[in-house]
Amino acid sequence: MTVMEEAATRLEREHVHSVYEKIAPYFNDSRYKAWPKVRQFLLEHEPGSIIADVGCGNGKYLHINGSVFKLGCDVCRPLVDSAWSQGHEVQLCDSLRLPYRDSCFDGVLSIAVIHHLSTKERRIRAIKEMARTLRVGGRIMIYVWAMEQTRRKFQKQDIFVPWNPNPPSPTLGREQPTPRRRGAVQSMSECLYSDKNRKVKSTSSMLEKEEMTCSPHQSHRLWFFSRSLDSVFDFGSLTISRSTSRELISTVSSRLGEAEGGKVGRRGRGAGLIEQLSSLFSGFSRNNSEEDVFDSVTDLARSQRDHVNDNHSNSTEKTSVSTALVQECGSVALPDLVSSYQKERTEGPGRPGEKDAGPPGDLKQDSEGEPAAASCLRYYHVFREGELVELIESHVEELHVLYSYFDHANWCVVAEKVQVWNI
Amino acid sequence: MFCILRVYAFFSSGLCGSQATEVRVSEVEFNPNFVSRMIPTLDWSALVQAADGLGLLQGLPAELVTDYEKNEDFLRKVHRVLLEVEVLEGCLQCPESGREFPISRGVPNMLLNEDEA
Repeated sequence: MTVMEEAATRLEREHVHSVYEKIAPYFNDSRYKAWPKVRQFLLEHEPGSIIADVGCGNGKYLHINGSVFKLGCDVCRPLVDSAWSQGHEVQLCDSLRLPYRDSCFDGVLSIAVIHHLSTKERRIRAIKEMARTLRVGGRIMIYVWAMEQTRRKFQKQDIFVPWNPNPPSPTLGREQPTPRRRGAVQSMSECLYSDKNRKVKSTSSMLEKEEMTCSPHQSHRLWFFSRSLDSVFDFGSLTISRSTSRELISTVSSRLGEAEGGKVGRRGRGAGLIEQLSSLFSGFSRNNSEEDVFDSVTDLARSQRDHVNDNHSNSTEKTSVSTALVQECGSVALPDLVSSYQKERTEGPGRPGEKDAGPPGDLKQDSEGEPAAASCLRYYHVFREGELVELIESHVEELHVLYSYFDHANWCVVAEKVQVWNI
Repeated sequence: MFCILRVYAFFSSGLCGSQATEVRVSEVEFNPNFVSRMIPTLDWSALVQAADGLGLLQGLPAELVTDYEKNEDFLRKVHRVLLEVEVLEGCLQCPESGREFPISRGVPNMLLNEDEA
């Protein structure tokens, strides 16, 4: 395995697989519903069709359409067990090495899966693997998180997102009594909103309404920006000039230099490099990551200060803004929880059993035995508009994109398997 | 509940069940259309081999009968083996490498080790 491959595997193990293993019990909450368009895709298949859900999680799509045969697979044991206990046919496997024959499926689902793969090459491989198992004429539906959300845009594509088992509900809105902090958070949130990037049309008006009623301070959504592994290993195109990346470049160059003439085994050199990378990507509580967030957002804050409202002017102390930056970013529920808002709206306020949002800025959400947010950072590569289509068109000739669209903060593609003739 | 044997038919290289230490048989409503539509996509010889290995062949022919869509008796045999029998504990073996993949709690673990990837 190459050094990059090793780094990618390790990153995914730490920030995708082990996180899902910890948070699996919470996924059985009815908040996590099937996207209507995915349901439709499943219902459109002829009776007797065979469909695979690659990255099926707890199997929420496996019960749809009783006239087709569905099987699911995932890398997360607790989720797969949960799907099995619902009566579904499931296996444990890796999306990069599917245990299925060529051309055996009429349909394949990949819903919110490949954005967890940490390099472009791995994402392409995953798509190609799924295409391999599709019969000619069969269709695949892929959903990935979009960089461009309805009213905002993630500033970077490679991010770590903490797990929040109790996302705030707009209908339970409870004002937190910390005016100064609220001000700080709102000014920081303003910074993250890039109105000029608001080119994406939402297919759901419900989503827009929710965003307006859910004010920033109620949220505990936060994420840390990262560099993509691709950019780290592509030394020629590194454009970031922060101290941490300079450190990394010099570390890598010196290590490579050592290996040239030295007797250091490849394994030793690679392992050391991976340690270094690992600490950058996973140690969110360390200074490295915090600096990154500061740099990117305070720069933005400076340039957008003119756009900040008057009532936030009393909270311009740099420390309070910085603290707020680290602890609270953004108000909009992330894509996999959008449907939860719809459900809660129909049920009305005061839903029994709904827990408090908790004090703002409390990173260790350890109340009642839930996994601490600090240990549950999920890695995502969020996709730009057109990126998924381009990935398929440029690198997966056996798939022909039929259509693509934006759905609840996801970029979606439906593609058909075509016969490739190699002359 | 669906049967793991059907999945064998989908696995690469005609993986077949070499052992089953725990098998469960349940009753599933017979839908002849569903079964007959599934048949063309199966690796028939892999399915037969797997069923045989588990001692569940029960009259399943080595080769597909012609005109099976109308053959209720045949379809019922296929239905039983595909939909009603489950391997809860056992293992799948790759005929090429000999590598065994365990099945536990009804779920086959097809994950490869790092050195195998």
